[in-house]
Amino acid sequence: MLSIKNLKASVDGKAILNGIDLEVNAGEVHAIMGPNGSGKSTLAHILSGRDGYTVNDGEVHYLGQNLLDLETEARAHRGIFLAMQYPVELPGVNNMTFLRESMNAIRKARGEAEIDAVSFMKQVRHRAKQVKLDEKLLKRSVNTGFSGGEKKRNEILQMMMLEPQLAILDETDSGLDIDALRTVADGVNLLRSPDRALIVVTHYQRLLDYIEPDFVHVLASGRVIRSGGKALALELEEKGYEWLQEGAVA
Amino acid sequence: MNACASSFHKAATEYIDSLSNSKGEWLTEQRRAATQRFTALGFPDAGHEAWRYTSVEGLLQQNFKITKNTQVFPEHEVIRQFLREPVAARMVFVDGIFHPDLSDTAGQTGLRVGSLGTAMATGDSSLLGGVGSLSGLGDHGFAALNMATLQDGVVIKVPTGMTIQQPIELLHIATKGLSGQALRTRHSVVLEADASANLVERYLSLDSESNYFNNLVCEISLEDGASLIHQRAQEESRKSYHLCDIHLDIQGNAHYQGINAALGGAWSRTTVHARLGGEGANIELDGFYLAGEGQLTDFHLDVDHSVANCESRENFKGILYGAGKAVFDGLIRVREQAQKSQAHLYNANLMLSRRAEIDTKPQLVILADDVKCSHGTTVGQIDDQALFYLRSRGLDKDQAKRLLSLGFASEIIDSFQCEYLREHLREEIVERMSFKI
Repeated sequence: MLSIKNLKASVDGKAILNGIDLEVNAGEVHAIMGPNGSGKSTLAHILSGRDGYTVNDGEVHYLGQNLLDLETEARAHRGIFLAMQYPVELPGVNNMTFLRESMNAIRKARGEAEIDAVSFMKQVRHRAKQVKLDEKLLKRSVNTGFSGGEKKRNEILQMMMLEPQLAILDETDSGLDIDALRTVADGVNLLRSPDRALIVVTHYQRLLDYIEPDFVHVLASGRVIRSGGKALALELEEKGYEWLQEGAVA
Repeated sequence: MNACASSFHKAATEYIDSLSNSKGEWLTEQRRAATQRFTALGFPDAGHEAWRYTSVEGLLQQNFKITKNTQVFPEHEVIRQFLREPVAARMVFVDGIFHPDLSDTAGQTGLRVGSLGTAMATGDSSLLGGVGSLSGLGDHGFAALNMATLQDGVVIKVPTGMTIQQPIELLHIATKGLSGQALRTRHSVVLEADASANLVERYLSLDSESNYFNNLVCEISLEDGASLIHQRAQEESRKSYHLCDIHLDIQGNAHYQGINAALGGAWSRTTVHARLGGEGANIELDGFYLAGEGQLTDFHLDVDHSVANCESRENFKGILYGAGKAVFDGLIRVREQAQKSQAHLYNANLMLSRRAEIDTKPQLVILADDVKCSHGTTVGQIDDQALFYLRSRGLDKDQAKRLLSLGFASEIIDSFQCEYLREHLREEIVERMSFKI
């Protein structure tokens, strides 16, 4: 589904990614871990099409297409979704209107009919319940005045509604208490399916107790320095990142 | 007096002469005095501080005439603009002239709603007393010309203690045939003690290309304890000119809430002069303006705290796109004796284009020492993070900008009380911007 080869990228002339290789197939859950500044979020942003990054080398293919050639919205139309670390507040933009317009924009791009109001309402209520998001927040402005946990639940709600092919969760666990973490993870697990892939970017192993990855990759200084199964995450938790970084040098 | 002013002076004098031969009370003395006033003032120019960024040259070049006209128009096009809710009264003006057939003035017993033209023709001096009581003869040339040549408008008197729940709808329609002409509309509204009402005042053009000049003056008196909600929407053609002076006298414990939207016009300017004249008087003003290619929109506010214990709040937001230009001038004066005043003024502007221009000037002139006053102004662009967020959810740039712009406007648009008006204004904003920014 996603194939990243030797991806090198920089911000304002400063190299952040120094040759990333990653293969993600449908049905797989990949965890990307690493210390602060290792390039985890940058990778997530580049995949979703955020401005401000310069790709200096390498290739990214998604469903047979050169992903880096696509506009941000075109990536969303093809099924890429980024759950953001810091969801943006949109004062005056109604949460439900936003969700519906997003769904319809994606449907339209795929040549599908717009969702009717009744089905939409039914679906959004059902999903809001699953992520334990207060229905009142659906009628408010997007993320405006939401708590940290509510913002993350809202991200997962959007993900559930938009049903992406490739979902990227950027430090979705940051700032969540244990109950919120469970709810969010439950929501993510509901979306696991053989034709969908997930990339879970996280600093801590904790989230992976709830979202079990098939593969764990450790990033340091913009490179994947170790890949393995879910046991790698546990090992990291025990020994810390320095253990691997030292190993990489040696 | 330059050639332009002298031709206006001549036309005004002829107009007054023609009126003085008719039966009724045509306010001819005031009109003649206003003509003199016009001669003394002339038209404002950039030398006047209040007109520094708002040139009237383009307006004067249009050479609008004050001829009297009768227009043929499809009634259904007017009717479809009506508010979609029951109203206490409806006054429809087509090309500045009252249309009784399309109006409904029955109202509540005791409520007086009528046209100024009718009041003058019948010499109803009880309704004419308010004309000029707050505005004087006019503090700039256009206002003086309005007084000299005023044609029609609405006169409303809500008697002591009466509550009018449903809106009083004032609908001003410009037909295609109006091009080339200047309308002189004058409204006079009096709410006696403890009366309350809700006015919805709209200006629309049936033809998006019509080119005319609406020169308005509106005088509103709120006696002790009265309360008025005043919803105003200017949605005229992008070639029209619109000038409106609103004079407010707000007495003790009276409350005025004004909600404004200015979307249309090649050139439009609204001035609100508000005098808080009795303790406990309160004014709230909200406004939204939209200006694109070839448009200038101007709001001037002048709120005068003349006694103690009054409150004022102003919140104006504007979206500028293309080569749109806006002027905002918010002046709050707190006089020496006006202790315990509270005054808060805010102006925010969203610039969608590098070619757009905003001249914004909040001014607090505070002579009292025990007051709570604040002001703030922002000029910003669409937030890149917000844009990325929306695009990452599948919306293209235009859709994202449309949603974010409407979000920016919604704080003001949502304060309109008529649901139909809120929906309509949102649609109108989207249509006018057509989001090719």
